[in-house]
Amino acid sequence: MEKYVREILAPKLQGDGGWVEFVSLRNGELTLVFRGECSKCLILHRCTDWIEQEIKRDLKKTVKVNAIRKRPYFQDV
Amino acid sequence: MAHIKVVRRSMRPEEWTDLRFGWLKRHIYDEKWEIENLLIRDARQVDEMQFEYYSDDYRPLKKGDMYFTPDGTAFIKADVNIPDELKGKQLWFSLKTAAEICVQVNGKYIGGVDPNRERMLLSPYVDVNDTLYFEMMGYNRSKPDDERNPESLSVRGCRQVFEGAYICTVNDDVQSLVYDFELLLDIAKSELFNEDYRNFLNKELNNAMNFIDFESEELTGVKDAAQYIEDVIYANDTYKGSGDVALVAHSHLDIAYYWRKIHAVQKNLRTVLIQLRLMDKYPEFRYAHTQPYVYETLEKYYPEVFEELKEKVAKGQFEPVGAMYVEPDCNVPGAESLIRQCLYGQQTYKRMFGKRVNNAWLPDVFGNSWILPQILRKSGVDYFVSNKMSTWNDTNRFPHNNFIWRGIDGSDVYACVPPTHFITWNMPSQIQENWEAYIDKDSGGQTLNMFGYGDGGSGCTEEMIEMMRRFHKLSIMPKCTHTSGAEFLEKNLKDNKSLQVWDGELYLEMHRGTFTTKSHMKRANRRIENKFRTAEMLCLMRGEDKNELIKELYKKFLVTQFHDILPGSHIHPVYEDAMKDYAEVEKALDVIIGTGSRYFNTLNRERKALTFVKNKNGTATRYGEKGNWIIPNMKALSSAKLRKKDFKGEWFNVNGNTIETPFYIAKLNNDGSLASLYDKELSREWVKGDFNKLKIYVDCPGNYDAWDILPNYREKEICVEVKDPLNICESDGESVTFAVMLGTEKSAWEMKIRFFRRSRSIEVENNVDWNEKHKLAKAEFDCNILTRKALCDTSAGFIERETHRNTTWQQARFETCHHKWCDMSESGGGIALVNDGKYGVGFLDNSMSLSLLRATERPDVTSDIGKHSFCYMIVPHQGDAVTADINGIAHEYNIPLVKADCEWSLPVFEPLYMQAAKRSEDGTMTVIRLSEQDGKRGQIKLPQKVKLLNMLEDIEGETDTIEYKPFEIITIGI
Repeated sequence: MEKYVREILAPKLQGDGGWVEFVSLRNGELTLVFRGECSKCLILHRCTDWIEQEIKRDLKKTVKVNAIRKRPYFQDV
Repeated sequence: MAHIKVVRRSMRPEEWTDLRFGWLKRHIYDEKWEIENLLIRDARQVDEMQFEYYSDDYRPLKKGDMYFTPDGTAFIKADVNIPDELKGKQLWFSLKTAAEICVQVNGKYIGGVDPNRERMLLSPYVDVNDTLYFEMMGYNRSKPDDERNPESLSVRGCRQVFEGAYICTVNDDVQSLVYDFELLLDIAKSELFNEDYRNFLNKELNNAMNFIDFESEELTGVKDAAQYIEDVIYANDTYKGSGDVALVAHSHLDIAYYWRKIHAVQKNLRTVLIQLRLMDKYPEFRYAHTQPYVYETLEKYYPEVFEELKEKVAKGQFEPVGAMYVEPDCNVPGAESLIRQCLYGQQTYKRMFGKRVNNAWLPDVFGNSWILPQILRKSGVDYFVSNKMSTWNDTNRFPHNNFIWRGIDGSDVYACVPPTHFITWNMPSQIQENWEAYIDKDSGGQTLNMFGYGDGGSGCTEEMIEMMRRFHKLSIMPKCTHTSGAEFLEKNLKDNKSLQVWDGELYLEMHRGTFTTKSHMKRANRRIENKFRTAEMLCLMRGEDKNELIKELYKKFLVTQFHDILPGSHIHPVYEDAMKDYAEVEKALDVIIGTGSRYFNTLNRERKALTFVKNKNGTATRYGEKGNWIIPNMKALSSAKLRKKDFKGEWFNVNGNTIETPFYIAKLNNDGSLASLYDKELSREWVKGDFNKLKIYVDCPGNYDAWDILPNYREKEICVEVKDPLNICESDGESVTFAVMLGTEKSAWEMKIRFFRRSRSIEVENNVDWNEKHKLAKAEFDCNILTRKALCDTSAGFIERETHRNTTWQQARFETCHHKWCDMSESGGGIALVNDGKYGVGFLDNSMSLSLLRATERPDVTSDIGKHSFCYMIVPHQGDAVTADINGIAHEYNIPLVKADCEWSLPVFEPLYMQAAKRSEDGTMTVIRLSEQDGKRGQIKLPQKVKLLNMLEDIEGETDTIEYKPFEIITIGI
């Protein structure tokens, strides 16, 4: 899963100015850190839904994404 | 006395007008017929015109569905039979979207939609069977084209909800009235206009709106409202405005920024398509488009659209502007790179359209080097346009808008720094703001107001042109003239004797971090610039015709110099693309350079400085490679076999941290800084404070993270600890190296300080594992020198900068751009810092601080994280920088010896620096480019006559004596 996030998902989000990092996968909960443009995205839930669909399609696993936003200091308001 | 603020809670008349204006806009479309058989296929673009698909086939796309994926491209199609009720009517295609979609109908590109526009005319593309085959390619960015458009901002995000696609008819009366209200409400809401007139507008717009019955089945009163506006508002000339504004349409297109350059192909297509369709509809519409590179991508991938563009160029509607191949950064690239931007840019325009352009169009670049005017003038460019100094300076108001810019060599170019931003949407308030901000009202003629959405292209909208058609009806507005870029410049600047002169660099008082951010790119840029020089020179000597290959490599390299690539202000994939391009270009240049049995000195000066020559059996180490320090003593453009001369004697003494060499007694501190550097030859101390001291500052400039360094960076320093103490790690007969391992909580910093037996220079090698966030690393040098100025290399001469902070102008320049060296000197001597790829430097009183690394987070989360290796040299010297030949030393330091079996048969042209030696573009001549870099005047007698050329290689004269002036760049053909 970590490799999938790093090699398959991350480049796509990076192309949009975003950033995603794997944190953990426990009991079907996939915890991901979102930085860059993702960290302040108003509709991040749409992206995490998509991530869940992609994982289901590619890895045949059902996960629930737990998104942790890490904004840079100047957007941490 | 108690005071109660009166808060109005009831609706004001202006709010009532606004509310009804919203209702009016709902009636723009008379009929809307939803296309319900759309199919979509998701993909991701992986290269120019190459896509990876998420599925093998298309799936249905219905209103309310999610569409687009992160960094996604979607292909959408539909086969439509026009319904009977719409047949014969003027039809439009409407699709409201946050994405950027190019639309083909029945095989023809008909236009584009994006967050700034939602419809395009369909009727001209309907076939005889009343069928429409739609093919769309859309790409969606989380960061929309233009963050200044609030509607665009509200729909940002990589996953979008599809709002439906429609074939529709437009109610022209309603649409026209909407434009009237857009125009007049903008004035009514702007405090830039006369208050009485705004009151008049508010009253009369309310009256006009009263004609419309919004409760009727069919909206009635629209024509009456329009007539009322005509008769009462447009007819009113009681309120007089002033000013004379030229309106030039354009679109700013960042080739890479929050997107990769592979996406710029479609961004450009969409932008061009939209403008072509506006030209179809509005014959008076003229539009300026920059960057020959993007014209090339259009020609290559969308030839049918390119042919249409050429027709519009021939008609004078579509205007190619900007002589440079891309809009490059104009701080970090060296002189030859900037010349090639012009050479290949002009060459491309000439091939495509049969003519060159006479302007440089650089609205968004982050300041402009003083070497530019000469390069532009000698590249057929008389006019220079760049916006940022007027709107982005953080300290001083730049004192001119239309003026003459005098370059380092005394060359003049007509310059325009428009008073306001280069992205506007042509609203009256923006035009009024431009006029009011315009400084040169009395001397400069018209002021330039650019309009059109941009950053990722997009350009003008129907609304912007409809506004222009109404401006003349408003006496309150400045006089507005829609014109081309070239016409504006010719009309107002050419031969204008009233223009003031700005003699100096066009320093931008912002974005000072871009000299340092993305350290690897800066170093690669320097190295590759020098390899191009070597490769061309060797090809010339070998009689190899590799012009086309070198041009192709140069063009790829020039794109990396784009003003959001080389400065480092981009997302991570852009960095990866650039590093890949650098690697490809460098590898190809290495193949061209090849190898040989002897070393060749490509410098047209005697090479006499101690030089590191790689040799696996060598006794010294530099950048982890073995070699020997050798004084080549090679004449200009000559070759030799080099042999190390073993020196067996004792040439230095060490006592603790104190070392005595033939030149110095140096006391080092445990952290590698120097407590003292006593010069035995000159009998003087060079150190007065921290010297070669690594300092790491907290660097928090805010939202423009990658771009800016703020002056408050000096307020907070983090602790740099000594992890492994200073010790001698290597010595031989020529060099002795101290090494110290420094570190912070997160980073490791190895510093090696190298003294030499036969050189006054002291080299500092840095090998860093950098894992910081929001930090700025600097090497600081408090020199025992009394001076008020520092000299900085520009790559084609030096610029003098004050080191005091007497005025706000000096205060603002706390961080500046330099190239290979900087220097602080008294008349008897001074200290130069020579680097191999650093550009940011600050001066304060007797101190120089070389910027080494940054750690920014936006736009690239991982910017500069990782391993870095770089060197700089401390060069204490007698006399000033010119008499000490610091520029020559810096050339020797940056341009290595090459192994090549070649012979130079032409004169060496000393004392000028041979910046380039190549076959001419047409293959008929040898072209030599010479640069005077010491501020001297003189002549070189030649054995034969040579052609005098401009930088585009046009013959302008003939001579057998080269007369040169300070900082002049001369091109000759042989």
